[in-house]
Amino acid sequence: MSAEAAVPTGGHFSLAGLVKPLLQPLIAVAIAVVVGGLLVLSLGENPFEIYWLLISGSLVGWPNFLVTLQMMSPLLFTGLAVAISFRAGLWNIGAEGQMIIGALFAGIAGFAVDLPTFLHIPFCLAAAFLGGLLWALIPAVLRVWLNVNEIVVCLMMNPIALLFSGYVSTHLLKAPGPTNKLPDIAETAVLPTFSLYSQVNAGFIIGLALCLLFAAINGWTKKGFEWKIMGLAPRFAYYGGIKVPLHAVVVMMISGGIAGLGGAEQVLGEYRAFYDNFSPGYGFDGIAVAMLANFNPIGVVLAAFLFGALNGGSAVLQMMTGLSKYLVQVLQFIIVLILAAQFTWGWLRSRKNAITAQEDRLEPETEES
Amino acid sequence: MSASDVVEITGVVKRFGDFTAIHDASLTVRKGEVHAIVGENGAGKSTLMNILYGLLHRDAGEVKLFQESVNFSGPAEAIAAGVGMVHQHFKLAPTFTVADNIILGSEPMRSLGRLDRERAIRETGEISKRYGLDLDPRAIISSLAVGLRQRVEILKALYREAQVLILDEPTAVLTPQETRELFATIRTLAENGHSIIFITHKLREVLAVSDRISVMRQGRIVATLDNKDVTAQEIASLMVGRTVLLRVNKSKAKASDEALLRVDGLTARGERGETAVDDLSLTVRSGEIVGLAGVQGNGQDELVECIAGLRRQVSGTIDICGRRAAADPRANRAAGLAYIPADRGGVGLSLDSAIWENLTVGHVEEFGRGPMLAIRAARQRAGSLIQSFDIRGAELDKRAGSLSGGNQQKVQVARELTRDARLVLAEQPSQGVDIGAIESIHRILVEMRDAGRAVFVISADLDEIFSLSDRILVIYRGRIVADLLTEETDAETVGRYMGGLDEPAPPDQHKPDTGSGDEASAHVR
Repeated sequence: MSAEAAVPTGGHFSLAGLVKPLLQPLIAVAIAVVVGGLLVLSLGENPFEIYWLLISGSLVGWPNFLVTLQMMSPLLFTGLAVAISFRAGLWNIGAEGQMIIGALFAGIAGFAVDLPTFLHIPFCLAAAFLGGLLWALIPAVLRVWLNVNEIVVCLMMNPIALLFSGYVSTHLLKAPGPTNKLPDIAETAVLPTFSLYSQVNAGFIIGLALCLLFAAINGWTKKGFEWKIMGLAPRFAYYGGIKVPLHAVVVMMISGGIAGLGGAEQVLGEYRAFYDNFSPGYGFDGIAVAMLANFNPIGVVLAAFLFGALNGGSAVLQMMTGLSKYLVQVLQFIIVLILAAQFTWGWLRSRKNAITAQEDRLEPETEES
Repeated sequence: MSASDVVEITGVVKRFGDFTAIHDASLTVRKGEVHAIVGENGAGKSTLMNILYGLLHRDAGEVKLFQESVNFSGPAEAIAAGVGMVHQHFKLAPTFTVADNIILGSEPMRSLGRLDRERAIRETGEISKRYGLDLDPRAIISSLAVGLRQRVEILKALYREAQVLILDEPTAVLTPQETRELFATIRTLAENGHSIIFITHKLREVLAVSDRISVMRQGRIVATLDNKDVTAQEIASLMVGRTVLLRVNKSKAKASDEALLRVDGLTARGERGETAVDDLSLTVRSGEIVGLAGVQGNGQDELVECIAGLRRQVSGTIDICGRRAAADPRANRAAGLAYIPADRGGVGLSLDSAIWENLTVGHVEEFGRGPMLAIRAARQRAGSLIQSFDIRGAELDKRAGSLSGGNQQKVQVARELTRDARLVLAEQPSQGVDIGAIESIHRILVEMRDAGRAVFVISADLDEIFSLSDRILVIYRGRIVADLLTEETDAETVGRYMGGLDEPAPPDQHKPDTGSGDEASAHVR
């Protein structure tokens, strides 16, 4: 008799199993919508109209929809980068800086090297990956060998990346002209776009593919298994023979590299050159996306779509009404706040459970004949 | 009810959400009696007492104190009504003096809100003399031994004129000698008319000190008995609801000469940089169970962590199955170590992970198919382990944290003992584990020994040490102070070594209990 048959295991892929992980983010979004609606109401506008504008402005019609896809592209990378590291218990909040350095590397590789297209694009992508990886390596190494908190280091690495790239693009390698940017990348390094309406480009496909790849890695490989255990219980993982320090460095490097690819998507696909201070904070939005996704790569696609749609719709909102596009940011921040609160609450509850489980818990197993 | 009943609990019910912790519990405590409440971990003992002490609110039933119905909204009211409680973990300010701690919350005042320190010291001295609890009122708490700190807690309750004193697992942290002194104190208090409620799960203690015994099981009081009418065996059976095998059935050890664990001159530092393990050497051979006895905090944790590879030693060597161990759990496991940690939540399990995942950590290589993990095979194996180790309430995808302590322990045991490892390091194997599960965990450890493995058990529980081990080592201040064959020693001797008293003390006249063979094996937890 197989053990599977005897022990009630629950279906591996049940409907409840699919719906349950969606519940928490959906609640967060719903609360944000209600609070945002009240805010709009207090400003003297009709919330239903505003929300309809947001939805129609981001989803209805090809042009709007393509803009949404464009807006979600960088978030696919930064969201995935953060999700991978958070899932393994490494708080890489430095995706912004890693993305900037990746963009800088891609921008330099794009104009400074002369290669045929089929080599130039991969070369630029590799350069971007390497840039992000190197930037993430610093907090990773400090964390593993000197036990320095990676959150603090990651946070500090962000402005350093911004200022460093600024120095390079306004002094060292500045393109001639009034704009603070590097020279335009060669035609051979441009990621192809699909439509005149938006800048959505092949980078979007790469981002989607990476999310699918990491969903597979998380679910089916030894590494994915070990990273998950490491994230939930690092001491247990170490005791169980998982090489936690080594894995920590590897995960941080991968995470940084993917954030760097997000920079390449911007430079090679949208701007076609590295511009100083180009990012409106995609790396930080990536943290929100990863949290909303509950660190699940497929969830990252959905959450990035939501955030992309909000960002895309906000431009329309500003054009059509007197409301600022920052209303959308308010919505996003409310979502993050609620998720953070849920996160903390869950953590507190699990601690409380652990305590009560030890002190006062019936143990039904003794009900034995 | 009779006039001598000071506490009368009738039909009390307590629910936590859907979960009923106390079902219809009724209990009376008489004036001047020592009333023991026994039961397994999680039977509801502490919950019931927390209701009496005002920390929890009952959902139904009645509590009467001195013939009057009461409904405390907090401990302050309970204290004012004459109930005192000494918790398992002391609630003292370690940098304050004894007198400061005793008066804290009901300070004697002088005019203009000034604290009357002298009166505090005088009254503390008086009260400690009255009850024969010798204490220096000016001593700083952190300089006191655990047994003395407990006295401070008791005096604190008496200072507030507690007539009913609840002691929650008071002996858990004490040496056998300190336990005996505590029992003498308890008897004195009872003779002075105080009523003592004594929560425990150690049967020997119950029989040694109590007048009446109430047994709790799964939130119910299943019996209240007179001490003189019962045996340990009967109480144990009532606690579990079935007949329990108190003695571990095992044959004589056939230890070989092959040392599977050899520790030589090991020195290691603790968290605060103190020397926790001090030039310690020991050997555990194939085919024997060696127990390490000692009061908690004498270097056991650091020793175990060094063997497990979780702590780097200052000097000395450790050999596991003939291979030099390093500060690397992975290498030590590869050398042949199976380690069952005491810290289940932190080290031994990932409580937020699924049970199959917990059973698979440490076996990942077995299920590796190149870079892939053979999840079906891993789950299948986990399913058969759940069956063969009888892990109750377990489903593959349930969180490990949803299991009871005993079943969490079985998950650890199942995972560790199914590895091809010849040295088994079991740290507090029955801590927080109910009696039924202890039985099977002990049986498994004995089977391991009989299969030629070496088993090293570290336990704070002397009963467990005695019922399991073939040989007993005693650790005191980071050194092994005794190496005794179990059949040639007794709990009293081991206890003296544990307390650091090398010279055998003169025989005690009013001994409440010595751990002679029968009682030592009357082991319930």
